[in-house]
Amino acid sequence: MSFEPKIVGFLCNWCSYAGADLAGTSRIHYPPNLRVIRVMCSARIDPTFVLRALAGGADGVLICGCHPGDCHYSEGNYKAMRRYPLLKQVLAQYGVEDARVRLEWVSASEGQRFADVVTDMTEKIHALGPSRIRAHLQLDKVER
Amino acid sequence: MAEPRIGVYICNCGTNIAKVVNCDRVCEAASKLPGVAVARTYQYMCSNPGQDMIVQDVRQLGLDRVVVAACSPRMHERTFRKALRSAGLNEYLLEMANIREQCSWVHDDEFAATNKTEALVRAAVMRVVHHEPLEKLSVNMCPNTLVIGGGVAGLTAALEMADAGHKVFLVERDDHLGGNLARVDLTAPYLDSARDLLTERITRVRECKNLQVMLGSALKNLSGFVGNFVATIGPVGGNGKTDQEISVEVGAVVVCTGYKEFDASRITYFGYGKLPNVITSFEFERMLRSGRIETKEGKTPQYVAIIHCVGSRSQEFHGYCSRVCCMTALKYTHEIKSALPGSYVSDLYIDMHAFGKGHEDFYKQSSEVKTLFLMYGKNEHPVIKRAAPEDGCEMLIEVAEKLSGEVIEIPADMVILMVGMEAQADADKLARLVNISQDKEGWFIESHPKLDPVATTTEGIFIAGTCAFPKDIPDTVAQARAAAARVLGKIAREKIEIDAVFAEVNEDLCSGCRMCNELCPYSAVEFDSEKRRSRVNSALCKACGGCVAACPSSAIKARHFTDQQIVAQIEGVLS
Repeated sequence: MSFEPKIVGFLCNWCSYAGADLAGTSRIHYPPNLRVIRVMCSARIDPTFVLRALAGGADGVLICGCHPGDCHYSEGNYKAMRRYPLLKQVLAQYGVEDARVRLEWVSASEGQRFADVVTDMTEKIHALGPSRIRAHLQLDKVER
Repeated sequence: MAEPRIGVYICNCGTNIAKVVNCDRVCEAASKLPGVAVARTYQYMCSNPGQDMIVQDVRQLGLDRVVVAACSPRMHERTFRKALRSAGLNEYLLEMANIREQCSWVHDDEFAATNKTEALVRAAVMRVVHHEPLEKLSVNMCPNTLVIGGGVAGLTAALEMADAGHKVFLVERDDHLGGNLARVDLTAPYLDSARDLLTERITRVRECKNLQVMLGSALKNLSGFVGNFVATIGPVGGNGKTDQEISVEVGAVVVCTGYKEFDASRITYFGYGKLPNVITSFEFERMLRSGRIETKEGKTPQYVAIIHCVGSRSQEFHGYCSRVCCMTALKYTHEIKSALPGSYVSDLYIDMHAFGKGHEDFYKQSSEVKTLFLMYGKNEHPVIKRAAPEDGCEMLIEVAEKLSGEVIEIPADMVILMVGMEAQADADKLARLVNISQDKEGWFIESHPKLDPVATTTEGIFIAGTCAFPKDIPDTVAQARAAAARVLGKIAREKIEIDAVFAEVNEDLCSGCRMCNELCPYSAVEFDSEKRRSRVNSALCKACGGCVAACPSSAIKARHFTDQQIVAQIEGVLS
C-alpha cells in the first residue's frame, strides 16, 4: 500500500478552526490526511504536544493561528510565533525535516487558504516519506 | 476511577455525511472502543428525536459521557450540551467530532474519509474520558447595543431596541442616514416612494432620546465578550488619536453595513464609461429622483433598453442572483412609460426572477404596458454599438434572442445596466474587528443559514440585511427586527452564562516564578505575595491557555482543554 502520511493539526478556535469549517461549507476539497485538534488559541499549544504527536507516529504537525494582529486574545499568536523557532531548533537536532512541522496563519474567512496549506503540506510530506523519528529514538522498543 | 460509560452518536446529516462516510463502519468500530457502552447512527442527531435518543440512553443505560460525531462544534455544540443538561448530565461531559465541515464536505474518497472519521471519533472517545463536570459563570448583560450602519436595516433594528427602552448607539460612516435606500426613487412592486419609507424612520431616530446617532463615524475597536463589550468609535479616517475617539459599553452588536453596487466599468463589452448614454441603475435612479429622464446631450430618449444581471449570475463576476434587480427593472418600465408615454422600452433578461409577494402580478402589469421582453443566454451577452446617423437612434443592441432563436437588433438612446449587489470592499476589516466570518464572495456568514440567520458564530454579534447577502426591503426589515428581538431577549434575561472554560493554578505546584503574570493579555493572573503563589481571576480570564503552555512547573490547568485531554486526543487520532 502506498504511503499515506498522518498529519496532526492544532487549530485555534477563533480563526483557523473557523477557516477549516469554511473550507467545508464552501466544499473546497483537500487531502484527508489531516486530523484536527481544536485549541482555544495557538498560545495554548505546548511544544510538547508537537513532540508527543511526532513520537506517537505523526508524519507531520500543522499549527494554525490567527494572522498577526488579529488574535482573538490580542497577542496569543505572537507567543506561538516565539515558541515555534525554538521548537524547530530542537526538532532539527533530532533530524526532523523542516517541512514536517509548520506554523501557518489562517483567518476565519480563508477557507481556500486552509485547503491550500493542507494540500501543499500533504504533498511535501508525501515526498519526504514516513517520519523516521520513532525508529531513530527506538520508541517502538520503549514501554509507553 | 470507575470504568466510564460512553455513548457515541454518529450523525448521517441526511446524506451530508453518509454519502461520503460509511457511518455503519464507524459505528461498529466505535462500539469496540474501551469505555463505550453504546454506539448508534441516526439521520439527524440535532433533530428532536436525535436529541431524545441521547437523553433516553443516558437515563436507561446510565451513560456518564457522550460523544457526538456530526457537524462542527461551532454549529451544534450548544444543542447537544442542552441535551445532556436535560438528561441530568453535566454539559461538559460532551465531546464532538467534526465529521462534516472537516471531513465529508471536503473529501470524496469513501475509504479515506471513513478512516479519518474513525480516527476523529476514537480521539473524541479517548478525550471525553478525561472530561470533568464544570459549572458555568454568570455575568451581567449590559442593556446597551451598538448598531453599525444607518441604512434601512440599521434604522429599523435601532428603533426596535430603543422603543423597548434601551440605549442604542447608531454608527454611520456617511454624513447622513438612509444608506443605499436613500439613493432610490420608487420601490417595487407597489411603487411606494423610498423617501417616504425612510423619512418616517429617520425622524423618529432623531427624536428618540434613547438613540445616539454618530454620523461620519466608524467602529475602531471592539473588546470584551457577549454582554460586556467595549466599543471604541471614532471619525472615519480619523487620525487615530484617542482624543477623537469615544468608548462605550454595549452588550451586543448588530452589523447592518449593507452592500455596494457592482462596478459596471469592470465589464468592457457594454461600453460603460465609453458610450455616454450607457448608465447604471443607480445613475438612472438619480435621474428619476430629479424628475428628468434625458440623455447626456439633454435629449428625451425615445428608445430605452434595460439590461439585467450586470455582474450577477456570471462565471466571470458574481455567480449569485442579486435578487432585487429584476423587479427594479420592471419598476423602471413603469416609471419611464408614465414620464415618457411615447417611448419604447425593451427589457433584456436572462431569467425573470419574480419570487416575492406581488412580484408576479407586477411582471404581468409590466407586460401589459407594452414592454419588449427579450431573453438572452447566460453566455451570450448583448452587444452594444454606436448607431449610424441614418438609424435614427444613438445605439444599436444586437441580442441572440433565446425564445425566437433569432439574432435581433434593437435601437436604443439610453441603456440602463442593472448592476448587482456585492459585499462592501472593507467588509473584511469589520469582520476582523467584530470576529465574524465571510464567505468567498465577502458576505458575512450567519450561524445557521436556515435556522439562525441573524446570529453569527460569535455570541453577541448579529447581522441583518444585505451585509449577509442580497435582499429586498421586506426581508431586510424582517432581519433587522429579528436581530433586535434576539438582543432584547438577551437583555430581558439580564444575565449571560459564560463558558466554564478558564485557567486555574494548582497552588501546590506553583513555584511563584510569576512568568504567567506578565504573559496574560488580560492581567487575569494575580500574584498573592503572602503565599508567594500566582492565582487566576476567573472573571477576567478568557481561556486562551497561553499561561498553561508557558508554566515551567505545569501548575496551571486550562479547564476543558487540559494537557491530559489534548494528549489523549493526540493519541486517539494517531492510534
